[in-house]
Amino acid sequence: MKSSSGRRLAAVAATASLALLTAACGGGGFDNGGSSSSAPTTEKGPVALKMLIASSGDAETNAVKAATAAWAKTSGNTVDVQVAQDIKQQLGQAFAGGTPPDIFYTDAARFPDYAKAGALYAYGDQVTKPDDFYPALKSTFTYDNKFYCAPKDFSTIALQINNKAWKAAGLTDGDIPTTWDQLHAVAKKLTTGKQTGLAIGDTRDRIDAFMVQAGGGLTSKDGATITATAPENVQALEFVKSMLADGSAKFPKELDAGWAGEAFGKGIAAMAMEGNWIKGSQKNDYPDVDYQVAELPAGPKGKGTLLFTQCWGIAAKSTHQAASVDLVNSLTAVDQQLAAATAYGVMPSRTSAKAQYEQKFPEDKAFVAGGEYGVGPVNKPGFDSVLADLDTGLQGLKTGDPKAILASFQKNAEAALK
Amino acid sequence: MSTPAAVTAEATSIAPVVGRRQAGGPRVSKRALGYTLLVVLALVYIVPFAIQIATTFKTDPDATGNPLSLVPNPFTLAAWQRLFAGSTGNYPLYFFNSVFVTVTVTAGRVFFDSLAGYALSRLQFRGRGALFNAVLAVMAVPGVVLLIPKFLVLKQVGMYDHYSGMIIPLMVDAAGVFIMKQFFDSVSISIEEAARIDGAGVFRTFWSVVLPMARPALITLTILSFQGSWNEFTYFLIATQSEAKQTLILALARLSSGQLGSGTQFPLRLAAALFATIPVALVFFAFQRHFVRGANEGGVKG
Amino acid sequence: MSNIDTTVPTTVAPWRPRGSGGSGKGIRAGEGRAGWLFVSPMVIVLGVFLLVPIIMAIWVSTLEWNGQGSPFAGGAKFVGLHNYQSLLVTDGLARKDFMLSLRNTFYYVMFVVPLQTALALFLAVVVNQRYLKGRSFFRTAFYFPSVTSSVAITIVFLFLFQNSGAINKLLSFVGIKGPQWFADPRGLFQVAADKLGLVDIASPPVGLTGNGVLGLTWWDWISGPSVALMAVVFLVVWTTAGTFMLMFLAALQDIPVEVEEAALLDGVGAWQKFRYVTLPQLRPVLFLVLTLGLIGTWQVFDQVYLLGGGNPAKTTLTPAYLSYRTGFNDFNYGNGAAIAFMLFIIITALTLLQRYVLRDKDAIAEKRGRRAQLRGAGAR
Repeated sequence: MKSSSGRRLAAVAATASLALLTAACGGGGFDNGGSSSSAPTTEKGPVALKMLIASSGDAETNAVKAATAAWAKTSGNTVDVQVAQDIKQQLGQAFAGGTPPDIFYTDAARFPDYAKAGALYAYGDQVTKPDDFYPALKSTFTYDNKFYCAPKDFSTIALQINNKAWKAAGLTDGDIPTTWDQLHAVAKKLTTGKQTGLAIGDTRDRIDAFMVQAGGGLTSKDGATITATAPENVQALEFVKSMLADGSAKFPKELDAGWAGEAFGKGIAAMAMEGNWIKGSQKNDYPDVDYQVAELPAGPKGKGTLLFTQCWGIAAKSTHQAASVDLVNSLTAVDQQLAAATAYGVMPSRTSAKAQYEQKFPEDKAFVAGGEYGVGPVNKPGFDSVLADLDTGLQGLKTGDPKAILASFQKNAEAALK
Repeated sequence: MSTPAAVTAEATSIAPVVGRRQAGGPRVSKRALGYTLLVVLALVYIVPFAIQIATTFKTDPDATGNPLSLVPNPFTLAAWQRLFAGSTGNYPLYFFNSVFVTVTVTAGRVFFDSLAGYALSRLQFRGRGALFNAVLAVMAVPGVVLLIPKFLVLKQVGMYDHYSGMIIPLMVDAAGVFIMKQFFDSVSISIEEAARIDGAGVFRTFWSVVLPMARPALITLTILSFQGSWNEFTYFLIATQSEAKQTLILALARLSSGQLGSGTQFPLRLAAALFATIPVALVFFAFQRHFVRGANEGGVKG
Repeated sequence: MSNIDTTVPTTVAPWRPRGSGGSGKGIRAGEGRAGWLFVSPMVIVLGVFLLVPIIMAIWVSTLEWNGQGSPFAGGAKFVGLHNYQSLLVTDGLARKDFMLSLRNTFYYVMFVVPLQTALALFLAVVVNQRYLKGRSFFRTAFYFPSVTSSVAITIVFLFLFQNSGAINKLLSFVGIKGPQWFADPRGLFQVAADKLGLVDIASPPVGLTGNGVLGLTWWDWISGPSVALMAVVFLVVWTTAGTFMLMFLAALQDIPVEVEEAALLDGVGAWQKFRYVTLPQLRPVLFLVLTLGLIGTWQVFDQVYLLGGGNPAKTTLTPAYLSYRTGFNDFNYGNGAAIAFMLFIIITALTLLQRYVLRDKDAIAEKRGRRAQLRGAGAR
């Protein structure tokens, strides 16, 4: 019977498809959870490590490649350094995808999310001389009382001043602002036709510095409660708003720049509030700009700045954890940190490297000074979208209501804390 | 006559019908107005590309300082050199990935879509009607809402971040099956029947009689698939993570979305964008006529 | 046997059991097997990579899953409708973001669909003027952006719409100081009201900012598209109009010449001819273009990704992007899947609308075919 044979064959085809389907599903891309504190997997023979970094430019990329190549040569392993164009997105997907790179830059603000999700391998106990790191940095990378990963380096925010524009406005070294009012006054003086006084990033990563100077902050010192609506914070935002309102300060996007450093380098802004990383880009992209770096002006409650750091994250799912830890120890050794500092301007995360660094880079004293009173980022799991929402509010600060912006953050942050 | 009427009718109706009513045509002023309009509109459509091309040969300050100028001053190849120097990514590799994935996907689509379209149109088997309705339903599913689950499936079957995961899921597309089915519905069955009577099997008939006949539809499908998979962004975004699997479009998007102090660097970004556009542009100008037809067919299908 | 079939059926003739007559009975051997064999690649690929994901999406949207472990083997907590609740009911950031994305997309669709349809129709009419030479060149120019990558085009527009970019430079020639486009989060309606002196955008009326619904204030709801989103609107209209132009063009060229000539003989003006003769003939295509536009615009993603995920101030955030970000960036895959599923419902509703319209179109195509045959016969 033809029809029955046809039917039978159809059934066979269907079964075959089904079998294919189930076979494919059996592949099982998921394995269970991150064993974040088990002993490292030891293995013999050379291993091939994969590293993912976010680079500020060719200088940083080349320096990291050189440093890892040196380690690879002595250890007999290989390291494949990849530069992420969008590390947040690429790492997030890599963790969920189950095959993350072995070792990667981990931003302080993203760290708690990764740690909470069990994506990170906690190797703090295997780091050479862990107490040599600045305590503030070490605590930034501690989650659930566990020190997870070695701080790569750190940076602080300071004030960059274009010397030529400064002189042209009739200002002298004595005019370098040390208070908010002075900052506002010089910014106004520096604002001319095509030049804006101050370029400031439109995110909490810059604007929070004023809150610190006002004696406020988004969270309490121990990070347990949200204190965004405190009057000190309102005062800080009101001040920034007043500068934005009269045009003596502008956000980079208004200046057609990707970030304040670009506006500063191009001479569209006479001052910028950026961190150590601005040095590398000035050197590479705008070598002719003559500038100096000063500490941020003090606010009503004294000096204040923000502290940025990243750590060398190692994936919980990495199969080369022992080798990765070894590489991190090599990269965070004093000489390597100084080499990185020379190449792209970050500051060593080890206190034992401080003296040598200051000696080598006297012009960085404003950045180094910030290390004394700098405040680390708000880092709690689940806060990324809350902080992003705050940034959204800050982008509209020029016409927005500081109180409303802070109140909205307070509400969302409290909800996220639960 | 075995020419597919539905397809050719469309093609000829698109062809310009110049000069039919030239005698006693409209007055000069109207004509001048028409041309002025056309030229203005054409400028709106051509100038952005011209600016793009010019800007890739500019320096950063020149690009931001003279955004409208079509003459780079000074002329520099810096952006292109930087693009291929390797510091912003391995563009030759991305190009290879794009070509490899596009060619394989296109070949797969042309073959599997016509197989399925033929079966749905000609072969009589149980469940055919239901299957075709399922194809229609699937065509309506918008791709962007399935990003998370598609990622999960790829992970589950172990194809995440592999070429197989970038290619196999795209190898059949419902819209292509639909186009082929419509095509076969419109052509005569007599030649195939002759072949079958001569003793050729179903596949043999399909391969050596039907497919050669289907050339116009196959060209349309090839072009649609080529353009679609070359320009594909969201699917590859969730199907891959490593640089080794990055396509040109993906690299371009990341180059542009990455914030890390890289600045605006428009000459570089526009050069990368131009580089990613060139292959499709070449295919477009070579097969313009088919593109036009494809747009209309694809449109009817949604 | 007629071998010209212009009716383009969208249904399959019912399967006829063997022996119920018809030609070629003998050569149908083995068709059942071959049929399934032929369609099996399609069944497998579409099944595994389209059907299964849809079911998975629904399942994951009921979970609290952070991307670690398997969502199918107890690696995630089942939370029922909690994710939907947090998007629609619970007062919080998740709902606010979702509502913002819906608001943005609504305004986006409201501007893109009419504008792109009007431009496409306009281009088609212009290109269809028979007395103009070089029309195929212009047609190519208008259509070209449609075939290029949206990612590449967006980068070009990011450049053109910079604050001191080409567009603002052009505007400055006619004495207009252009806005900061992609950096400007102000709502279009808010700006307009401010310009008219109705409100002060720096201190909007308390009645509007003081209260609202679904996590957004009334002031936020009625903002209109932001200036940045308008730049995206221009970009998309410019890019897609070419495709729709081709559809209009095909329809325009199908209008029998006699109809137009008859109108001309009656001494009707050009505009009246267009309004009362041409436009009614274009009705089906017009409907098609409108519904296709509706469906396409709700899916906008690429441009948002390139603008940095909703910048400025989340005014370009869309549901498609929000779903992606919630999953892959915030590690909240359950919520992301829930957003995707709701977007799915919206688009499916619009698609059903399109199907409904298309059903009419088939009938029209049939008529058109018959007319073409008649015309052919007349010419002979």
